[in-house]
Amino acid sequence: MRIGLLTEGGYPYVSGEARLWCDRLVRGLEQHEFDLYALSRSQDQEDRGWIELPPQVSRVRTAPMWTAADDGTGYGRRSRRRFADAYAELAAAVCTGASPDPTGLAGAPAHSAGAEADRFGNALYALAELARDEGGLVGALRSETAVRTLERACRAPGALRAARAARVPDLLAVAGQIERALRPLSLDWYGDDGLGSVDLCHATSGGPAALPGLVAHHFSGVPLLVTEYGVQLRAHYIATGDAELSAPVRAMLAAFHGGLAAETYRQAAIITPGNTHARRWQERCGADRAKLRTVHPGMEASRFAEIGEREEPGEPGTLVWVGRIEPSKDLISLLHAFAEIRKEEPKARLRLVGAPAEGPDAAAYLAHCKALAAQLFPDEAEGAHAMGDNPVSFEEIGGPETPDLADAYAAGSVVVLSSIVEGFPISLVEAMFCGRATVSTDAGAVVEVIGGTGLVVPPRNPRALAEACVSLLRDPGRRERLGAAARARALELFTVEQNITAFHGIYLEIVSHCPVRREPVDDAGDPLPFANPPEAHVPGRWTAPTSESGGGFGTWLAGRSASGGPPSWAGTEGEAAAPGGGAVGAGGGIGSGGGVGSGSAVGSGGGGQRPAGEQSQLAGAFPGGEGDA
Amino acid sequence: MSGQGLDETVVGASLDAPQVPGGADAWGAGSQEALGEPGSGAEPGPARGSEPRSGVGPVMELGAGPVTGPGAGPESERPAEREPEGGPESERRAEREPEGGPESERRAEREPEGGPESERRAEREPEGGPESERRAEREPEAGPESERRAEPESDAEPGLPARGLDPAAGDEALLNEPVAWRATAAAASTGSPLPDVPPPPSASPPGSPAKAANPGSRRRTSVDPVKALMHRHRELCERAVDALEIAAGLEAHGVTDRTAARFRHRDVFSLAEEMYARVPRDSDIEPESRHAVSGTPRGRRPVWAALALLPGTLGALTLVGLDFTGGRLRLAVGAGGVLAVSAALRAALRRGPLRATAHTGPAIRAWTCWLLAYALLGDGLLSAAVSGGPDEAWAPATAPLLALAFAVAPGAWCAQLFGAVARRRLASSRGLDEFVASVRPLLLAVFALFLCALWTLIGVAAAVLGQDAAYAGAGTLGALLLLARLLTAYGRTHAPAVVLGAATAAEALAVCTVFAGRLPGCGFLAVPVETAVDAWGPGTVPGLACGAAALTLLVHAARTLTRASAHAPTDTTP
Repeated sequence: MRIGLLTEGGYPYVSGEARLWCDRLVRGLEQHEFDLYALSRSQDQEDRGWIELPPQVSRVRTAPMWTAADDGTGYGRRSRRRFADAYAELAAAVCTGASPDPTGLAGAPAHSAGAEADRFGNALYALAELARDEGGLVGALRSETAVRTLERACRAPGALRAARAARVPDLLAVAGQIERALRPLSLDWYGDDGLGSVDLCHATSGGPAALPGLVAHHFSGVPLLVTEYGVQLRAHYIATGDAELSAPVRAMLAAFHGGLAAETYRQAAIITPGNTHARRWQERCGADRAKLRTVHPGMEASRFAEIGEREEPGEPGTLVWVGRIEPSKDLISLLHAFAEIRKEEPKARLRLVGAPAEGPDAAAYLAHCKALAAQLFPDEAEGAHAMGDNPVSFEEIGGPETPDLADAYAAGSVVVLSSIVEGFPISLVEAMFCGRATVSTDAGAVVEVIGGTGLVVPPRNPRALAEACVSLLRDPGRRERLGAAARARALELFTVEQNITAFHGIYLEIVSHCPVRREPVDDAGDPLPFANPPEAHVPGRWTAPTSESGGGFGTWLAGRSASGGPPSWAGTEGEAAAPGGGAVGAGGGIGSGGGVGSGSAVGSGGGGQRPAGEQSQLAGAFPGGEGDA
Repeated sequence: MSGQGLDETVVGASLDAPQVPGGADAWGAGSQEALGEPGSGAEPGPARGSEPRSGVGPVMELGAGPVTGPGAGPESERPAEREPEGGPESERRAEREPEGGPESERRAEREPEGGPESERRAEREPEGGPESERRAEREPEAGPESERRAEPESDAEPGLPARGLDPAAGDEALLNEPVAWRATAAAASTGSPLPDVPPPPSASPPGSPAKAANPGSRRRTSVDPVKALMHRHRELCERAVDALEIAAGLEAHGVTDRTAARFRHRDVFSLAEEMYARVPRDSDIEPESRHAVSGTPRGRRPVWAALALLPGTLGALTLVGLDFTGGRLRLAVGAGGVLAVSAALRAALRRGPLRATAHTGPAIRAWTCWLLAYALLGDGLLSAAVSGGPDEAWAPATAPLLALAFAVAPGAWCAQLFGAVARRRLASSRGLDEFVASVRPLLLAVFALFLCALWTLIGVAAAVLGQDAAYAGAGTLGALLLLARLLTAYGRTHAPAVVLGAATAAEALAVCTVFAGRLPGCGFLAVPVETAVDAWGPGTVPGLACGAAALTLLVHAARTLTRASAHAPTDTTP
């Protein structure tokens, strides 16, 4: 099938974020055809070019997010009226705070919140239609009409308290930021030769990258898959926390991005958070739990395979820390903990492997850590005639002691993580691949990653860290058990293969349940009668009675979770094969997720041009066998 | 992995810790105790029960609540043995509390006496608001749990380790309370007593330097831990626009759901919601008017200000050169002068307040050149044409051009003045209408200022060069060019191009009609222009054409340049 991969400041660019993951995904799913739709984030990024693309990438279209050409021509009167109406809706939704569901109960949003979300979505699509008809929105979004509309919305009753205090510069700033955020609407990607022709849009992040997917879903009914390793809304909050923006601006922008996130989650067929933390944010922002599938990021396991399979447990008494040296890693706490460890285990050594992060702060922090280490631990020698050595060593990858990353892990018997702030702890996963016992602080996704296969202590608690390390240092058997369990867990959950398999399954699941319904046309563009076999449309109701046309995935999910009985057409076998809703596991529950779908429905998406292998895979995904066309 | 499965495995991991002397044991005991809690009835909150507990819970919980329980039990005889059961955290806290735990039941009575704690609270938490006032009233008799427990029960049982979020759960805890204490005390006494290892001086948590110094701090945090957290993150709380922003900020500071459990919250979001709700907000606070940074950096001001003088200076030098040379050299000097002036003009307009933000098409440039050429030669041509010529070369009118070249400087300065004042008004005005009302007179005043300067220049130039002062032609042309450039500088290129084109066409038409009138049978064509020139002189044609155009542009500018959107700061692309 053809997949439209939507990225923002990401994949094809050399300096893009998450390009490694996207690259692996595209290379791993070579049976599909990928169209890249990339938004670039800066001139610098564009200048540095693309990485090498595999042959399954058939088309790349890029557009800048960092600049917009205002053509300067105005709209006609009717278009101006349309714009004013749509923008007024948007402004009203923003100024009354289309915030995510405040009750925190995803899946059961309050009625008013639903209406608010409708309002935001309707305004968004009205603007998108206007942009399609008029060829651009940039000038209009910056116009006096927009600013005046915003002002009226701010002064209207029911507006946010912060928005009511907005002054003229705030209004201008908000209008400017909204124009920036809505730049993807002005693109010419949505025609039948663009996103209208793909079978599935995969947005690699929320926010701006998902916006083209939303519009394509609105125009052409293309299902949308949203993958978020870091929640865009949260990133927005962090970013505006640093920027010098006034309170009204931040309030309105937060409402705008909250509304955008809610709309994205509402329209997405499936949302794949990268970890439980992202999942919790998504649920909080209104994502339906039934749509969420956690897909852990995959990491290259092969380079740690040798270390992991080796029986040799590493130097006893050596602790290893690996990472980028910066204040959030709390090495000070680790050094204090090591002082405690040395009281119990005088032979213990600590190796800190890593380079300082960019910036003067990190360098100063490294110097501070080194000074503290020298102060806490004097050099010591074996005997009177030996050279002294410090039990704490600072090393970098590529140095004589640690030529590569795997050696760093191999050197120690226990791997320590002392962060106070952590996203997805990569070094912890690497340690797990290496089969090392770990002691880590409870930050970010650590608990989720480690499961039960390592010790977890509270952050900023050197004493607890020390006790946990000592208990592991003294018990080689336990170390080995934990290490083996950690490696098994990591191989199960965090490999590239599981990531790709999960997405493969999700693609098939989406396409089988909400295929794009297109009118088939011949080469001349005339409609082809009888191109779709009659079986393409399943007679009767799939699940619950649905008011929406097209049998959207959402209704399918709702029907599945709501109705207990089998669908009218499905046999009991198919129903039995369907998993319980919202399976969290990365590997499980994905291939079998298509149990309810019918193979004939799949056929309607692309007609007969699918590769045969894919058809057989599709057929294999349906255990009942009766749905096969 | 479902949340539940995670839960079990993690607890299993912490139980996995062997009974090693030296404290890991205390860790294990703590988790055992934590596991025992739900059964003992002391753990009523279903919310907390669903929390993933990684062995962190016990340590933190003991600090927050049930540590008071053991204090009531065997603790009273052997205060020193209290440490092991609490794990490292409570150990540290216990050490900071010389009065010891036995008084936990009587804490409510002791509370009103004041002591270091209430003093500290008074001085450290000055923030007002209705919330804290209510607390201040309640605190003397309500005791430690006053904040979260608004129910009257809290008065009866002050030392309760209440964690339930909902009142019902709290009631249940109250009913079971003595049992709970006994259970936790028993759990504590089963833990193997360990020698008291004093914590290292460096082991104090980085976030709370004040705690170590204050003997009452443990109780203070247990009174209202959320308040302490708010104090620590007060900047975040004050500037947050919604609860999610606080949640994002807290997470960036390392607060996880397990940490939130210490504050008796289900997750970070609900903790952030409480914090957001408790931030005192004064709705009358005006956002301080931030002075908008001026678009032109101060340091570069002299550059463009000096460059604006360059065209006039070069023009004057050229005229002087023309005066002192003759023949072929004169031609070279003239050509060189024109090139130099146009280069200087480009340089002057490329930076400073008259810099074009949008792309200017070739049309505007072409019309401008034509208009300037007409100012130089047009009047002479027209008067010659009207009187039947041109028979010989006529003298070009250099004075208007010299005045216009010098007028670049006042033009740039006026534009700068307009921009700066408008930005200041922008920052200070409350509404768009107010801004328009304040900027429209400003635009007219600045325009009038420029006109004064221009007319002065025209007069001076004419006097110096000994020519007639073409106030009508050059004056209106200068006004037209300034307005066109100002509009271009604010990104409005469409109207200037049209209007300049119209003015050009009008002038060209006027000349053409005079010549067309010589054709047989077309004499009527020349009548209007000839009449006008005869009546008011050749300056009438450019005066009328440029004057009408300038008026049109002035009306347009008064509509568009007074809008707030015209003064929006251009976004800085990363």
